[in-house]
Amino acid sequence: MRRLLACVLLLTALCVDFAVGAEHRLELVVTAPYLEMHSGPGRGYPVIYVIGRDERVTVLYSRTDWYKVRAPEGQEGWARRTDLASTLLPSGAAAPIPPYPDFASHRWEVGAGYGVYYRENLVTSYADFGLTDSIDVEAVLQQALGTLDNRVVATIGLRHTFIPEWKWISPTAGLGTGYQHIADKEPPAPRQSDNQLAYVSLGVRGFITRRFMWRADWRHYVVFNNLNVYEDLEEWKFGLAVFF
Amino acid sequence: MEIRLGSFFLAAALLSGCSWFHRGERPQNQVVAEDTGADPSVIEPQVTRRAVKTPKIKAKDFEIGAYFGALSIQDFGVNPVYGARLAYHISEDVFFEALLGTSKAGTTSLEDEFPDITVISDAGRRFTYYDLDLGYNVLPGEVFIGRGRAFNSQLYVTVGMGDVKFAETDQFALNFGVGERLLITDWLALHLDVRDHIFETSLTGRTKNTDNIEATLGLTTFF
Repeated sequence: MRRLLACVLLLTALCVDFAVGAEHRLELVVTAPYLEMHSGPGRGYPVIYVIGRDERVTVLYSRTDWYKVRAPEGQEGWARRTDLASTLLPSGAAAPIPPYPDFASHRWEVGAGYGVYYRENLVTSYADFGLTDSIDVEAVLQQALGTLDNRVVATIGLRHTFIPEWKWISPTAGLGTGYQHIADKEPPAPRQSDNQLAYVSLGVRGFITRRFMWRADWRHYVVFNNLNVYEDLEEWKFGLAVFF
Repeated sequence: MEIRLGSFFLAAALLSGCSWFHRGERPQNQVVAEDTGADPSVIEPQVTRRAVKTPKIKAKDFEIGAYFGALSIQDFGVNPVYGARLAYHISEDVFFEALLGTSKAGTTSLEDEFPDITVISDAGRRFTYYDLDLGYNVLPGEVFIGRGRAFNSQLYVTVGMGDVKFAETDQFALNFGVGERLLITDWLALHLDVRDHIFETSLTGRTKNTDNIEATLGLTTFF
């Protein structure tokens, strides 16, 4: 733990260095009558400065939907993404302000959530890569915490989104394989504490806002063991995720 | 014979001199112009266009840092706690947060009264947790210190779940927290947090939900 904290502090120091060290900045030309600069990256922070039409603004970095900018006279403040998107490069080309990723065709997804796995509380996290708009590879790492035992479950599988264009709610189905480790809490101890497993899943996903989405999944697991009786388990879960 | 020999050497000298002169004076591009049959008065510009690379805008949506404070482990006293925090800001209002912290429990009042009794082993007193939280900045604003200094700040609430390892067993835990993020600069933040880890335990006899409240002071940087 102390080593981890030392690493975090070192990383923090490196981040400080990066924050100070970067020099080559993007310059944009204001085309609207003026560009407002707020004192903070939020809608409620007051406007502290405005940059007039045809003046240049230097973009330092972004945080969520806000961009830290510097006026020609050196004043710094935060400009809204939509305002900055109307500016131009000195060459006359459109400003390279990236649009929000399209939900139907996004590629990456990272999320976490809560569920129930074999009557145990489940803390779940996942990463998902879209091979196409409708077929994803999903890697899941989750911990089930119960009264009799605790389990760590890691799975990898494929998931199909039937109609990715449906934005607010869209059904999915998947299948995959994985590994389960059981740590016993109460006797009797499990006869086999490490198992391979396979699953099928049904679920739904939906868009919330910007880069934010939700998922709900039901899974049926078959746990392979050498006891001649395969174990069947069920799981449901709900999660929130960010997509890129 | 002498005249013939002299005129031969003279001719050879002239030829070699001409060829030397020719080699020294004619630039390479002129030869190319003659070869291609182009008008020698037009000079082809040999300027390579410089590739203009638009600088990328760096997104600083992640926050990383460490914190230190006091954790009240129910029935086991108030003890120092320290941990690490990683957050990702999705919008100006919402963020994800992952915490990893550790503390060491003290003794119960029963153990203080009767030193021979041990409720949990020494190794089991280690209290380690991880949390996965969703946070919401409910009250963004500014904090004024003196006449001329204003710092951006956000009061936020968090809700989440995770794992608490205490008495050498892992338990599912819910957490509820409230905190204040004070931005010293736009990339360095001071955090004041109060958080409750709620989990079920039967260490002191009967099974019950315990509230384990911690108050911490932390420092984070955006990257």
